Amino acid sequence: MDVRLPRLGEGADSGVIATVFVKEGDQIHKDQPVLEIESEKAVATIPAPAGGTVTKILVKEGDEIRVGSLILVLSENGAGAAAAVAAPVAAAAPVSPRAIDASVGDDAREEPVIDVPAAPPVLPPAARVSAGPSGFPVVHAAGAPPPASPSLRKIARELGIDLHRVAGSERGGRIVMSDLRAYVQKIQRSALEGRSPAASPAPPGALQSPKPAPVSIDFSQWGPVTKQKITTLRRSISRKMVESWTTVPHITQFDEVDVTELLALRKKYAPKYEAKKAHLTLTSFAIHAVVAALKKHPSFNASIDEAAGEIVFKDYFNIGIAVDTEQGLIVPVLRKADTKSVFQLSVELNEIAERTRGRKLSLEEMQGGTFTISNQGGIGSGHFTPIVNTPEVAILGMGRSLVKPVVREGKVVQRTMMPLVLSYDHRVNDGANAARFVVDLVKEFESIREADVKI
Amino acid sequence: MTSIHNEDNVKSIKTEIVVLGAGPGGYAAAFYAADKGKKVIMVEQDKRLGGVCLNRGCIPSKAYLHAAKLVTEAEESSFRGIHFEKPRIDLNQMRAWKESILDKLAGGITGLAKRRNVEVMQGRGYFEDSSTLRVETAGGQQFVTFDKAIIAVGSKAAIPSAFDLGNPRVMTSTEALEIEEIPKDLLVVGGGYIGMELGTVYASLGSNIVVVEALDAILAGADPDLARPVAQRAGKLFREIRVKTKVVKMATAGKQIKVNMEVGGEKKEELYDRVLVSVGRVPNCADLGLENTRVEQDEKGFIKVDEHQRTGDPGIFSIGDVAGGVLLAHKASKEARIAVEVITGELSAFEDIIIPAVVFTDPELAWCGLTESEAKQKGINVEVAKFPWSASGRALSFDRTDGMTKLVIDPESERILGVGIVGSGAGELIGEGVLAIEMGATAKDLAESVHPHPTLSETLSECAESFYGYATHTYAKKKTTTEQ
Repeated sequence: MDVRLPRLGEGADSGVIATVFVKEGDQIHKDQPVLEIESEKAVATIPAPAGGTVTKILVKEGDEIRVGSLILVLSENGAGAAAAVAAPVAAAAPVSPRAIDASVGDDAREEPVIDVPAAPPVLPPAARVSAGPSGFPVVHAAGAPPPASPSLRKIARELGIDLHRVAGSERGGRIVMSDLRAYVQKIQRSALEGRSPAASPAPPGALQSPKPAPVSIDFSQWGPVTKQKITTLRRSISRKMVESWTTVPHITQFDEVDVTELLALRKKYAPKYEAKKAHLTLTSFAIHAVVAALKKHPSFNASIDEAAGEIVFKDYFNIGIAVDTEQGLIVPVLRKADTKSVFQLSVELNEIAERTRGRKLSLEEMQGGTFTISNQGGIGSGHFTPIVNTPEVAILGMGRSLVKPVVREGKVVQRTMMPLVLSYDHRVNDGANAARFVVDLVKEFESIREADVKI
Repeated sequence: MTSIHNEDNVKSIKTEIVVLGAGPGGYAAAFYAADKGKKVIMVEQDKRLGGVCLNRGCIPSKAYLHAAKLVTEAEESSFRGIHFEKPRIDLNQMRAWKESILDKLAGGITGLAKRRNVEVMQGRGYFEDSSTLRVETAGGQQFVTFDKAIIAVGSKAAIPSAFDLGNPRVMTSTEALEIEEIPKDLLVVGGGYIGMELGTVYASLGSNIVVVEALDAILAGADPDLARPVAQRAGKLFREIRVKTKVVKMATAGKQIKVNMEVGGEKKEELYDRVLVSVGRVPNCADLGLENTRVEQDEKGFIKVDEHQRTGDPGIFSIGDVAGGVLLAHKASKEARIAVEVITGELSAFEDIIIPAVVFTDPELAWCGLTESEAKQKGINVEVAKFPWSASGRALSFDRTDGMTKLVIDPESERILGVGIVGSGAGELIGEGVLAIEMGATAKDLAESVHPHPTLSETLSECAESFYGYATHTYAKKKTTTEQ
């Protein structure tokens, strides 16, 4: 049985092999991790689609492979699943229409995929899985097969092209080779131009402006150097940051919040939280405060849909948390934060951060965020200007809290002050909005009471 | 299990692909795989290759139907001023003639296997596990370990236990094709294509045929207007066709069979010299050792496969009758190609594939794609164009105007979705229909392709023309609106 790289998730069709867990001759069981792959922002474990003996491994660590690439050959002798092998391509079960609308949030985006035992060597024709972007509508009614010769249908199947979307130029809408060729060219053009309307929230590389070919500089002429290959994650971060930096007009708002009371609460409750395997941190408080502020200022819990000419306000609150890992920045998303208590948030935060550092995050756990928090306090920084995590429109940065002399009721007192920074997309919000948001956010921080923290 | 063949002195033979069964599915798979460079072993329990199709189905029945046609045409030629004596039939010679055809064909398959280096192993195959097949050959057991297996063991005629008297006078198609004798009175149980075809053979040889069918029409599945000429003709050739009739009991009565049946609620008891039971076919799944694999079967015993012909066992594929669906040789051969292509890494699937059906009665009945009844049933909006063979010069020239060509057309795109033909030689004509549908041709394409005159193939283009209202040899009002 040929084991191929399954689909990794929306927009991710390749990755770099981080670890190969098995070797030739190994007896493996179904679902046993065979390799770890770094793709976009996740390190995903690829499980064995079936049990058996590994007869051949065709990849090694560091290889960049695409979805559908042959990973290894398994000779099944015991358990396993027939369905595992190259699952039906064209007949891939249609995902519910709900799973398609990329403009809606996370729940809608469940095209999971990593846990699918194994996938077709070619992506299932896009069309059958999704209602599809407006540039590629279905032109042949379902029911009868698309009007094309058997040989052309075979080519289409091999290419993973759904002929229902290919307009035919011959009588009766019959599709001929030139139609298919034109369609493939259109897809490529569309991909290169990044205009595929709403194909994914942020098509990789879509918004990069053309730039001159990079020139290699020999740095060793000035002294000794060491070189390291840019990892997929680093490349992905880089792409994402360039995209955000070049498309979003950033403004950063600076403020401070008095966390003296919060720290007292934290000191009192931390042991109780610890007993229940939860870390009570300023981040937990921050999520709580941010959600409350977002409720008052929906334009910070929004996205901009340029294609549709719309601002999309979200009635859900999924907070992304910037996590510093050995490999680089990863932002897991804490879902439905508005429905959770500080305690629950702390539990989940702890859990998801652990899994992020352990590289055990699935792709969908990094999608669908509505607002991001980056807490550098633990590291010891002060104010900084974070970059908006597009397609979100704002990000909150937290610095290290310091005991400072402040004036309260005419007297200089010692208070612990934490730097707060808010970077936002000026296309959606103006400075006044941002100032109001930050003021309210500070209030929300300072109005957290013992009742909110109790467990 | 697996240890058996490793120890002992029995050495196992390794192969990339083992094909179990050498019928039109099996040998097609074996040859194709060999052509694609695989090492193939084909296992067949019969001495003669070719499966049911060649030995006990398509081929012998068509040979006899040819004989039947000769007899009938001679008989019906007196009005042309040609008079023949009543034919004298030598059954032994006829059987030998039939056998000679089968030998030729089977010899051809053996030769083709040899030239492709496909090893043919004669014996019964039994799966020891998901990668080992034990073959009981005349020279003892052989163990074949394989990377992939293709099960193509076919089906056999079903005989309900109530009819299984152990009396050779109660026959299935297998025995009926041996024509041991020409019974005076022959009851055919089941008005499907096998019953109707063999009924035609025996009728022309001189038997009185009574066909009983439980449903309300013979040849269920075909459009009623296409089945009608067959029923009409059979009504002349046969003594009787009884629909809505159930055979309740059969018993041996001396040299005859006593049959009790209910004809539309009315009870009848009759004596027949022989009975042909043609009530369907069952898969040959017993004693294959499927329980030692992960192959799954459906409630009727057919092997479950996906559109890539994969079974529940990743190393095992299945094709043809045993894999269910329509039980036709050409479907098996197509599935053979798909299975082999999937094994060799191509993205093939049994998807949107048109499988034509041909009933070799007199007249023949053939169809492919969407039928009119099916469209009605599924609520698909179609237009139907019909061309009666009474308007075909070719049909008139041999006095067989009892035919019709019919197109099922999508009114929107004018694409041909289905073709149905009844009439002499319909089976030879339907291939064009398959091509038209598979190619996504429109009625216009068919109408504008020149068909040779005078041939029956013209009925296809004229039928397409009639859709537009300008067929030369019929007159129909110009099409204005669509049906439904």
